[in-house]
Amino acid sequence: MSDSPLRQARWRDPDPTRCVGWLPTGRVTLADFQRRIGAWQACLDTLAEPGRCYALHDRDPLVFASALLALWERGDSALLPADDRPETLAGVDALTRARLGDVPGGHRPSTGAAPRWGTLSAERTALWLYTSGSTGAAKRIPKSFAQLDAELATHRDLWPLEGRLTISQVSHQHIYGLLFAILRPLVEAAPMAGALCRYPETLHAWLAALDETSQTVLISAPPPLERLPETLDWPRVRQRLAAVYSSGAPLPAAAGRRTQRLLDAPVRELYGSSDTGGIAWRGVPRQDDAWTPLPGIAVRADRDDDHLWLRSPYLDSRDWQRQADRIREAGDGRFQLLGRADRIAKVGGKRLSLTAMDRALEAADGVRRARTVVLPEPSGRLGAIVQLDPAGIPIEHGARRQRIAALRERLARAFEPTVIPRAWRFVETWPVNAQGKLTVERVERLFRDRLDHRQPRWLGVEASADGCCHVTLEVPERLAHLAGHFPGRPVVPGVVMIQWTCDLAREHLGVTGAFSRLERVKFPQLLPPGERVTLALEWHGDMQRLDFRLSGRHGCHASGRMHFRAGDPS
Amino acid sequence: MTTDLEHELKQLIIDTLELEDVTPEDVDPDEPLFVEGLGLDSIDALELGLALQKRYGIQLEADSDETRRHFANLRTLAALVEARRTQ
Repeated sequence: MSDSPLRQARWRDPDPTRCVGWLPTGRVTLADFQRRIGAWQACLDTLAEPGRCYALHDRDPLVFASALLALWERGDSALLPADDRPETLAGVDALTRARLGDVPGGHRPSTGAAPRWGTLSAERTALWLYTSGSTGAAKRIPKSFAQLDAELATHRDLWPLEGRLTISQVSHQHIYGLLFAILRPLVEAAPMAGALCRYPETLHAWLAALDETSQTVLISAPPPLERLPETLDWPRVRQRLAAVYSSGAPLPAAAGRRTQRLLDAPVRELYGSSDTGGIAWRGVPRQDDAWTPLPGIAVRADRDDDHLWLRSPYLDSRDWQRQADRIREAGDGRFQLLGRADRIAKVGGKRLSLTAMDRALEAADGVRRARTVVLPEPSGRLGAIVQLDPAGIPIEHGARRQRIAALRERLARAFEPTVIPRAWRFVETWPVNAQGKLTVERVERLFRDRLDHRQPRWLGVEASADGCCHVTLEVPERLAHLAGHFPGRPVVPGVVMIQWTCDLAREHLGVTGAFSRLERVKFPQLLPPGERVTLALEWHGDMQRLDFRLSGRHGCHASGRMHFRAGDPS
Repeated sequence: MTTDLEHELKQLIIDTLELEDVTPEDVDPDEPLFVEGLGLDSIDALELGLALQKRYGIQLEADSDETRRHFANLRTLAALVEARRTQ
């Protein structure tokens, strides 16, 4: 078989009735598709002479594919913006002649014309992709026809499509979707679904609409696979599904097994990146988490710091290249992924530079410092720790919502909704430990209320003197104890405030001994959800007595003294 | 006016999606749930679909445009549940 699948250009075949695009509502033949290529070229002819670069973004796989081929065959190249955010597109404009596709100001194809075929030479740059660089600035990566061809040939030899219909649930603005959902069907003369398949119900209906003998492959990612509903009648349609592919982030083993059980098809995970191309794969079922390098790829772990060293035919250089991921060699040629050594994360399957997000937050009014972190599963979303000017700290629900809305709105200019932080922790002082570090433990402490809905939101502690401290807290809107206390006017019950006080005194002042009694306890002001409060604690060890006062903008919510028995806590 | 069902759905959305800065009172029944408004995304749409199946036994249709129409705001979502609930 040819090792230059793209340059074989199967879309030029004189095979007018071949199916290129499929939807339950109809199909697109190769003749139709060639006319679309011609129509794009007619549009490009009005814009510039060949040899330019165009920004291309379109959610419709066939519109995207026909535009890409029109550019290549005309002698142009494409730059694929990572998303359609205004700031992303503005950054791309300076590098390109014009925008094509479903973005503001994007050109659309003119009406039908015969396509012109050109020359796709190996070393020519076919396109540029973006990847989030670890410094925070997006990195632009060129791909030559030879590089794309090397990958496409590898995938084709491992898992040939053999005419199966490709159904995609991922964006083709990124390397994985581009290769698997667009270029592979094009070079293997196989059909692709004529739209993105966003929902499991859509997948089910499409499979049901195909005739008995049709076969498909699903190009997917962890977010949709982790959320496949059990309630759809998969056994009725799944014999038409030959394989499932997943990439973008590791698929948890349990989600992999569940996918295989529901869809009864092999699940193959790909590991790689825009800069490196594909590196390795693994299948379900699997005995362990290890990855097998793709043919032609060599992998080893750095002896000192576990960094992945990679030698790949898809890279410009044939030398060993050091990567930011850390690995452990399994001893049989395979390897385990240990995680990133830099601040690049996967959020909802999207690669994101946390440094870039931190900087974007720090550019907002009133923000002094920001640090974003990936929240533990099952959320997997972003949490933000934000130090604000003291005057800007929100002290009640409405102000907090407004502040968050303003930050979200600002971030939405440059980031997709998926990666915008979901949990916000506003602090007055940067929550470092005694060594001046924002540690993993501190970060975990700031978000612990998400895992235990009986706890207050902890926003920092300051020791004022020996045995004394101030703890900043917020009352979570979803606090478990609020439910049903007073209908329509939720407040924190006094007993809960006492429990918080007791717990925080043990945590921060090392109070031990069983609780024995309370005295002089008062609850002067009701405490509703969303309030920001300070808990002042004063421990008199000689008397085993804790003085406390919980106060906020309306004054005191709780105060009193708590006595503890000497000895072990109970 | 918010109906009991709308209130229940607000709580369902908040709990399912673990929204922490939102109370049921904050959700305007006519405001878009996605992108603007609550700022939800395609992963939330999948989660919400699962929650509707679990709580109300509702199967969503395959046409993603149709699904999105039901998810437009709280009122359209409540109408969907009203019309299609089996439990």
